Amino acid sequence: MVRKERKKREPRKVRIGVFVCQCGSNISSVIDVEDLTTYAKTLPNVVHAENMNYPCSRQGQEEIKDAIKKKNLTRVVVAGCSPRLYEPTFQRCVSQADLNPWLFEMANIREFSSWCHPSTPKEATEKAKETVRMAVAKAKLLEPLQPIELPMTKKVMIIGGGIAGINAALDLADMGYKVYVVEKTESIGGYMALLDKTFPTLDCSICIEGPKMVDVGRHPNIEILSFADILKVEGYVGNFKVKIRKNPRYVIAKNCTGCGECRDACPIEYPNPSDMNMGVRKAISVPFDQAVPLIYTINRDYCIECYKCVDACGAREAINFDQKPEEIEVNVGAIVVSVGYDMYNPEDMENYGYGKYSNVFTALELERLLLAAGPTGGKVIRASDGQKPHSVAFIQCVGSRDVNKYEYCSGFCCMYTLKHAVMLKEKYKDAIQIYVLYTDMRSGFKGYEEFFNRAQKAGINFVRVKLENRRVTEDPETKNLTVYGETEDGKPVEVEADMVVLANAAIPRNTALGLAEMLGIPVGKDGFFKECQPKIRPTDTEIPGIFLAGACGGLKDIPYSVSQGSAAAAQAASVLGRESWAVEPIVARVNEDLCSGCRVCESVCGYHAINVEKMGDKELAKVAEGLCRGCGICSSACPMDAISMPNYTDTQVVAQVRAVLGRGEKS
Amino acid sequence: MPLKKLKTDKADALTLEWVLHVKNYRLTLDKNHCVGCQICTLACPKEAIKLEKQPKTDGEKAKKAKVDMDLAKCNFCGICDVLCPYGAMKVTVNGKHALSVVEKESFPQLIRDIQADASKLPRGVECREICPLDLIKVTWQTADGKPVEDIDLLTDEERKGLKVKIDIEKDRCPCCRICEFKCPDGVLQVRKFINGKILIHPEKCPKGCTDCLDVCPIPGALYLSDDAKKVYPNEVFCVYCGACKAVCPVDDALELKRTSITHASLRSGAWNKALERLTSPVEVTKELKAKGSQRARDSVEKRLGWKAM
Ligand SMILES: Cc1cc2nc3c(=O)[nH]c(=O)nc-3n(C[C@H](O)[C@H](O)[C@H](O)COP(=O)(O)OP(=O)(O)OC[C@H]3O[C@@H](n4cnc5c(N)ncnc54)[C@H](O)[C@@H]3O)c2cc1C
Repeated sequence: MVRKERKKREPRKVRIGVFVCQCGSNISSVIDVEDLTTYAKTLPNVVHAENMNYPCSRQGQEEIKDAIKKKNLTRVVVAGCSPRLYEPTFQRCVSQADLNPWLFEMANIREFSSWCHPSTPKEATEKAKETVRMAVAKAKLLEPLQPIELPMTKKVMIIGGGIAGINAALDLADMGYKVYVVEKTESIGGYMALLDKTFPTLDCSICIEGPKMVDVGRHPNIEILSFADILKVEGYVGNFKVKIRKNPRYVIAKNCTGCGECRDACPIEYPNPSDMNMGVRKAISVPFDQAVPLIYTINRDYCIECYKCVDACGAREAINFDQKPEEIEVNVGAIVVSVGYDMYNPEDMENYGYGKYSNVFTALELERLLLAAGPTGGKVIRASDGQKPHSVAFIQCVGSRDVNKYEYCSGFCCMYTLKHAVMLKEKYKDAIQIYVLYTDMRSGFKGYEEFFNRAQKAGINFVRVKLENRRVTEDPETKNLTVYGETEDGKPVEVEADMVVLANAAIPRNTALGLAEMLGIPVGKDGFFKECQPKIRPTDTEIPGIFLAGACGGLKDIPYSVSQGSAAAAQAASVLGRESWAVEPIVARVNEDLCSGCRVCESVCGYHAINVEKMGDKELAKVAEGLCRGCGICSSACPMDAISMPNYTDTQVVAQVRAVLGRGEKS
Repeated sequence: MPLKKLKTDKADALTLEWVLHVKNYRLTLDKNHCVGCQICTLACPKEAIKLEKQPKTDGEKAKKAKVDMDLAKCNFCGICDVLCPYGAMKVTVNGKHALSVVEKESFPQLIRDIQADASKLPRGVECREICPLDLIKVTWQTADGKPVEDIDLLTDEERKGLKVKIDIEKDRCPCCRICEFKCPDGVLQVRKFINGKILIHPEKCPKGCTDCLDVCPIPGALYLSDDAKKVYPNEVFCVYCGACKAVCPVDDALELKRTSITHASLRSGAWNKALERLTSPVEVTKELKAKGSQRARDSVEKRLGWKAM
């Protein structure tokens, strides 16, 4: 109705202005912009054409606005670069001159002409003319549109409570937003809660992360949903609906005081994954003492139900063996994904002997042995005989930087190996020999190179070996190990050691793909979540309102993960801070008279944005405007021709095609 | 070193193991002592133990059922160790026998009430072979404390002033009471720790089948009728371990019911469940009633949906 009225009030003839951009020499060095401008003037409905150096500059925009007013322009075409870069700028510009922003069209004569045909300027100019001709033909048929406003839920969800997620949560909570932290395991903290010291300052990891974890637990705006799984994510920016399952701990959270008397009474032990299964925990316990939230959990896989814990808990009555999984639904306006990484199990690279020789360790295992609260009380000892090693060989890039395994560099291994080597050397001095067999030592970023120097001065032996032809063998009697390798120029290297530590690759979470699918965000070739633009939008995903932080978007050390947590928080806040979220009105439109409810559109839509629903006595396709990305696939797939994309209508596209074929307007 | 979970099956022993960096959990089934009875299978709270009937070759005696243990389910709690009447199961941590369920009072120990009064043993009585499982050792010492090698070689004079000692391997004793009957009055007194009822319906037995008798570890607990055609139980010696039941080829030819198990007194849900599986829910509520454990009894009743007497 509204649209029709507007058409009535628009009796004027369409008056198009064409602005040709020189783009410094980017365009003008190949294309004859004068000729192009003159040509543009000859096109139907074009009442104004000019060329200028940078229409995108402030001055250029002023000129366009002037021309709109003076020449009474009703459509504007800029022949310049890609709409992806500058369309928003020009849309804003024309709207300042009281023209509807969707009455603007861009002709890309830089990427399509000057840049790709630099040696054939004549032909390039001809092609540019065709491009402009098409744009003008379409511009004539453009219709004014209104942005779609979506309401904004002022709450946010952080998925994954590692150090990145913790920082995002605290920042957003401090800004006043309600924050849900969904953590898969029993406690937030991620890997940092398992580390002993952190490079390059060697401060105690849990001592610096612990207070932040406690802050998250205490913050009035934060609700931790731990020991929980994300089941389903629906909706769109401002209006996400997330279904979560809270797994039963068999302990009533509000009654548990975290005293640990149940643990002391429990007779059953099982391997503790937080200790890399090198130590044990009780069937009722917390994964580590600083766990947040401090709620005990019964592992029913091991529990024998003797109910000693029930007796020990006594009047607190915190134990409930009948607890069931609980499903809840939470509405949020934005989501930060910070699920971190997994570690590659190097057992399948048999040349390293991990899993075969008892004194071959992974770096994370060594980290737990170094930790005073770890399974050995901080004693670094061999598995074969419980003795302290006299020599340790670290092998770098186990699985990483290997085109047959993980092509990327895991990023933090060089630095944590330096950390481990320095800690062992500075503690045991001459009583220990340390070898680091590395491919390249990567110590970029603040304080890292200095730390490398400290390691070299401490008397650690650095031996550069290639990835190929590495091998570890064991003396079956002494269980001592020999590491064989080759230098870059093929000379053999042989190192004897009591203990070997592998810097095994860090890899994407095994749950990453499932999560990506639920959220509708892509993962890259390496398996990590893909950012929208790796340089200038590193914490954005392709989906508005969903952000990335920390190692789940590609491996990052702690300082980098912390910064990303805060960056994602700021991004999320810039969404949550709005009263409503405006979406491009270029979303699919369904002609209900034509729609047969056949569901072809539903099956082709990659964004779950179009669904057939019952409406009255008919089944009709319905578009969720917040989800529709305007790709148009439904429109082209629709067998009934019932779906159209505003400003990409059949009539408009046909006009463009006719224009490029030189057929002129359809009469 | 990654956690290793190992299962080794050797002629003498079946072993489950968790090898952690500095800790080693091990459960060993001593196949020589195992009689293939039902106790561990029923008692295991993780249902990690299974009995497998062994195929029988014609003309040969039935073989005892084989115990198999599931590495993925076992949590080394040691309940099988505590309850095995024949002491065939052993849980060790770092090589040392460890029963944390007993230490933490989360599971009661069996009470094997075996009284031996050596002073009543008449001189010259041969005691050595009275135990079918060879668990009793009688040793004589001269008045000055020297061990006597062979009592038969001593003169009457030398026998004066001899001291006698009876050692019994209690951990492996199923308390069948054979020794009590075989030995002169009052020397040995044994009380069964498992009580129950065993019935064989001869009319249901397959013709000529003696499988139960073949595997029964206690001589005389089952016996063959005079015409050597049917097997009958003798409740006096039966220990209700169920080795017979485990091999019986027909459904209800052999009825075995356990009614009570003598154990140290303590509150334990794990015990209640083990008892329920070994005896029956009725017996459990009875025991709970005797203990006055109202809450536990209520929960059993709620689960079963009936009221205890
Ligand atoms: C041996 C070793 C030593 C290291 N030492 C250092 C050091 O000294 N200094 C340093 O700067 N860096 C060090 N690092 C790197 C450091 O571990 C990472 O930089 C850091 O952990 C990244 O934090 P994160 O929050 O992105 O991920 P994580 O720490 O992996 O946290 C992710 C969180 O998300 C949770 N999660 C996962 N999946 C889901 C899901 N589907 N739903 C909900 N929650 C989920 C996880 O349980 C976890 O709590 C070391 C790494 C290793 C392996």
